[in-house]
Amino acid sequence: MSSDKIGFWGYPDPEIVEKIKKEYPNAEWIDLDIDYNYPDKNILPESYCKIIKNIINNSLEIKPIKIIAPIGKDKCDSGWFAAQVLRDKGLDIIETKYEQTSNKNPIIISKSNLPLFDKVNTIMNNIITPKKYNFEEVKPKFGFWGVPPNDMEILNLFPNETHIYGWTRCVEAGTPADIDLEMYVDEDVPTVFYAQAFCSKAQLAKYLADKYNGLYIDIDDYANNSIKAKIEAFLRLR
Amino acid sequence: MIYLDAGTTYSKIISIGEANLSEINSFLIKEENDRKYYILPSSMIKSKNLKITKSCGHMSSATENEIIALANGARNIIDTDSTVLDLGSRDAKWIKFKDGKFHDMDWNTSCASSTGATVEMLLKFYNVKREELEFNEEKFAVTCGIFGLEKIMDDISNGTKPVEAISKFVHGIAYNAWSFAKKPEKIYLSGGFCENKCFVESLKQYCDIESLGRFILCEGLINSDKKEDVLTHA
Repeated sequence: MSSDKIGFWGYPDPEIVEKIKKEYPNAEWIDLDIDYNYPDKNILPESYCKIIKNIINNSLEIKPIKIIAPIGKDKCDSGWFAAQVLRDKGLDIIETKYEQTSNKNPIIISKSNLPLFDKVNTIMNNIITPKKYNFEEVKPKFGFWGVPPNDMEILNLFPNETHIYGWTRCVEAGTPADIDLEMYVDEDVPTVFYAQAFCSKAQLAKYLADKYNGLYIDIDDYANNSIKAKIEAFLRLR
Repeated sequence: MIYLDAGTTYSKIISIGEANLSEINSFLIKEENDRKYYILPSSMIKSKNLKITKSCGHMSSATENEIIALANGARNIIDTDSTVLDLGSRDAKWIKFKDGKFHDMDWNTSCASSTGATVEMLLKFYNVKREELEFNEEKFAVTCGIFGLEKIMDDISNGTKPVEAISKFVHGIAYNAWSFAKKPEKIYLSGGFCENKCFVESLKQYCDIESLGRFILCEGLINSDKKEDVLTHA
């Protein structure tokens, strides 16, 4: 076990995060959702959500002393199954559910003038070490709806005047299970609805893309040139 | 001036004026005014050292996005409320205009199993000529082309002639393409399938068709050079 590393995925209950921080004040916190290019442990099927694959592969490679594992509506059923698999593999799993929808944080980063890549990074880095920001709000030319993609580079295709919607906005609000906020978009803003391939959120992404005349995309691992060209065409033509 | 749409299998070229294309003269399809139209295998393009003015397609040096070239090429010759579908060797893409402005689009960017390349391989494998294919009332479900191939093989092993089985596959592709384009009442068809009468007849079962031919993306490259870009009209 890595004595100085705590793993987590999704948006764990902040009270539990604070409790673990006090227990392990010098620990490094590792976001297990991110692709660190560790070898595939061949636990999951070949065709499966890349984010869950990251969670399994990272956990078994890094072997954190504890893993804070959201398993409720704030994550997904696959997160719950992953927690069971990792526990069965001998890792110390602390399951959390953080499904409250009140006391929302103000939405600042999602509407800011930061590059989209930085917006998403800033929101996700704010989970374990929350900071207050005061960025300038920009009028949206485009929207990006969804979770942080495995291939963060696609975010560099968007202009700075892109607002964030969907689960990533819910994370900024501190309400990762807030389905009403997750389904909210500004109707007049041309929006790309992104889902990780094999993720159940694809159901929402496709439905909302049709409803709001946006562009639905799903990407398995990393975006190929055609997917990038498709996003580029949508951004240029709309 | 040389405008190139480099498809996976075939490249389409329009040259304007005095461009020297003697190397590919044997691939000349037609001449109109000062324009010459060529279609040649894409595998030959690199060796020809052509000085390309603008290009799109499956090559690293392409200078324009294919769907934007499609939009720019079709916009001035279609109704203001209409859907243009480009179905080629490797992928399918469509764009919809409403009141003459871009409204919606999609592009099946990854799976080539139900497009032209598969049909060409089937024709070669079963030694069937494209002209022999005829519309067949039956259609195979070809959402996944690999499953579609399995249907063809089963059908043939049960006694159906290859030409009939492939026609059912082509009917399936037509139905898929129409569904993929969100089932419009009319489709302006671009790309190699314009020349496949079995495909066109199959697609006509679902919507009206107007063929635009194989040079619309090249026309789009020319239009964007002339600043008749769809973006300047939106």
